[in-house]
Amino acid sequence: MSSPDGVQAGEGEPTPVRLQLTLFVSGASPTSTQAVRRLRDLCDRHFPDGYALEIIDIYQQPEVVASRGVLAVPTLFKELPLPIRVLIGDFTNEARVLAALGLPF
Amino acid sequence: MVTSNDVDYPADRSGLELPKSPTGITGFDEVSEGGLPTGRPTLVSGPPGAGKSLFALQFLVHGATVCAEPGVFLSFEGTRGKLACDVRGLGIDLDVLEQDGRLLVDAQSMAGQAVATGEFDLEALMVRMAFAVDKIGAKRVAIDSLESLFAAFSSRPDVVRSELLRLFSWLGDRGLTAVITGERAEDTFIRHGMEEFLSDCVVLLDHRVVDEVATRRLRILKYRGSTHGRNEYPFLIGPDGLEVLPITSLGLYQRVNSDRLSTGIAGLDEMLGGEGVFRGSSVLVSGTSGTGKTTIGASFASAACQRGERVLFFSFEESQSEIMRNMASVSLDLAGWVDRGLLHFYCERPTTQGLEDHLATMRRQVERVAPTLVVIDPVSSLSRGTSTGDVSAMLTRQIHYLKLAGITAVMTSLTEGGNDLEHTELSISSLVDTWLLAITMRDSGERNRGLYVLKSRGMAHSNQIREFLLSSQGVSLVPVYMGPDGVLTGSARAAAEAAEAHLGLGAEQESSHLSEAMELRRKAVQTRVASMWADFEAEEALTAQQLTASKKGKEALRAARLEQGRQRTVKPEDEP
Repeated sequence: MSSPDGVQAGEGEPTPVRLQLTLFVSGASPTSTQAVRRLRDLCDRHFPDGYALEIIDIYQQPEVVASRGVLAVPTLFKELPLPIRVLIGDFTNEARVLAALGLPF
Repeated sequence: MVTSNDVDYPADRSGLELPKSPTGITGFDEVSEGGLPTGRPTLVSGPPGAGKSLFALQFLVHGATVCAEPGVFLSFEGTRGKLACDVRGLGIDLDVLEQDGRLLVDAQSMAGQAVATGEFDLEALMVRMAFAVDKIGAKRVAIDSLESLFAAFSSRPDVVRSELLRLFSWLGDRGLTAVITGERAEDTFIRHGMEEFLSDCVVLLDHRVVDEVATRRLRILKYRGSTHGRNEYPFLIGPDGLEVLPITSLGLYQRVNSDRLSTGIAGLDEMLGGEGVFRGSSVLVSGTSGTGKTTIGASFASAACQRGERVLFFSFEESQSEIMRNMASVSLDLAGWVDRGLLHFYCERPTTQGLEDHLATMRRQVERVAPTLVVIDPVSSLSRGTSTGDVSAMLTRQIHYLKLAGITAVMTSLTEGGNDLEHTELSISSLVDTWLLAITMRDSGERNRGLYVLKSRGMAHSNQIREFLLSSQGVSLVPVYMGPDGVLTGSARAAAEAAEAHLGLGAEQESSHLSEAMELRRKAVQTRVASMWADFEAEEALTAQQLTASKKGKEALRAARLEQGRQRTVKPEDEP
C-alpha cells in the first residue's frame, strides 16, 4: 500500500510548481530506510516551499512497479514540475539529486 | 520429458536424458534433440537483428499454445504494442493469449537514462518477475535483453551482473525454463564474467551480409548434459517465424522409383540406357555458357508436359517470356504448355533474396504448383554473393526435399571458363543422380556443342560424346565422328563422313575386281588340271600296251625253247 507521506514543512500558499515525488523502495530494508531519510532531509533543506512525496513499497504494489517500469531500488520519479525525471540510487550524491530535481546548483 | 509432436527425432531416450522443453521452432527442436533444457536458463545470443527476440517470443508462444506452459515475457527492447504487432505477424493474437492468462508481457523501452545518485539494486526487477510468474503460474520466462539492462545501468555493471545472477538462480529455484537474449556472447558475458552462470545452453544466432545478400545462421554453442547438432545451421524468418534448416539431420529414407522419364531428346534417352532418367532423381546439366543447358532443361520440361505432367520452371537469369521465345526457336513450344496450365514459371533475380529465403520461396512454389518435375536454371547463379558451402548446403536440402516428394529435379549449372569441366563449383556433383556435361568443341574454325553423360546412377549409359544440334527442327544428338584424326564435329564431321563414304565405294570396286580375277585364275587352274589328267591317262594307256607286248614275247620264247628241246631228244631213252 502506498504510504503517502503527504505534506511537509511550512507550506501555506499553493505554489503552481510544487515539487511532487514518487519513491520506490524495497520494504523496510536498511538501504531503503536510509534512502528515505536522506531524501527527506535533503528536500527539507532545499525545498522550503514544501513538496509531496509518495513512497511505494515494491513488495506491496508490484503492479505499479511494472507499470512505471521500475527495475532498480531506490528509484525516484520527479513527477512535477515537468519534465519527469528518474533518479536511481540512495541519494548519496546530493549535487546530482539537486540538479535532477531542478535546483540551480 | 515434453516433446513436440510434429518433430521426429531418433529413438525416445526420455528416461536417460535431460528433460527438454520444445520451442516449436521448425528444425530447432530437431537440432537440439528436443528443445531447451527444462528448468534452466538458455542464452540466445547474436547481433542486433539476428532474430533473438523472435526466438524468445516463439518459445513462449509455443509453450502457451501447445504445451500448456504459460510464459512471461520481460522485454526492455520495446513497448507492448510493438511486441503485439510482432506476435500478430506469427498469426497469434497477443491479447487473446493474455486474456486467457497464458502469456504475460511486461515490456518497456529503456529510452530515458536515469540519473544515478548512489547505491541501488535491482530488487524491483525481481519483484516484477516474481509477480508476473505467480500471476499466471508461468513455466517459461524470457528476458530480452541483457544488453539493454546493462545499458540502462551503465554506471554500475557490477551491480547489474550480481543482480542478474541472483535472478537466474531464482529462476532456477523456481524451475522456470528461461530464454535470455544477449548480444555476442564472447564480448558481453566474458566481459561481465557471467559465462559460467549461463552455460547450460547457449544458442548463437548470426546474421551475415555477403555481397548485399543476407543469410542467417544458428549454432548451438553448448548444451550441458545433452548431445546436440554442432553445425552451423541456416535459418530464415518466414511467415511462421524462425525456421531452422538442418542439413545433417536429413535422413536418407526417400523411396526409390524405377519409373523412367524421357528427357525429351531422343538421342539423350538412347545414351541413358534407352529410357531416360529415373523419376524422382536429380539431374545436373553443367557446362560453360552457350552450351545449351537451358535448352536441355526446357526439353525435360516439354517432355513432361507432353506426358500431361505439371512442371515448375525456376529461372534465375531469364524472364518467362525470354525463355519461351528462345525455346520456340528450337521448336519447343513452352507457351502452349503454359496456356494449358501444365508449365509454371517462377522467375526471380538471385540477388533479390537471401539464399535461405530462396529455398523457402522455392518450397512454397513447389507446394503451390505440385509439379512432378522441377527445373532450376541455373543453380550456379544462386551462388552469387554467397560462399560455395552455403549454396551446396541449400541445394542439398532442396534436392532432398524434392526427392522426398518424388519430384524429378533438373538443375543447370554454369561452369566458369577455364575451370575443370568435371568439377562443379557448387560441389553438388555427388548429390545428383545423373550428370550431363555440355561442352563446346572448337576445331577448324567452328564451335560445336557436345554432350556426354558423366555419370548416371543405376543405369547403363553411353560413354560417347555426342554432338548436340540445335536447329529450328528441334534438339537432337548425333554421334560424333571418331577417326584417326580424333573427334570431329560440325562440318569437319560431315566432311569426314563424306570422305569415308567415298573410300568405301572405292574399296567395293576393288573387291569386285579381285573376285573376278580369282574366278579367272580358278578357271585356268581347272583347265591345267584337266590337261594334266589327260597326259596322265595317255601315259597309263601306253604303259599298259607295253606290258601286254612284253608278256606275249616271253610266252613266245618259252614255246620256242620247248620246241628246241623236243627236237633234240629223238630217243627219249638217252635222256637222264
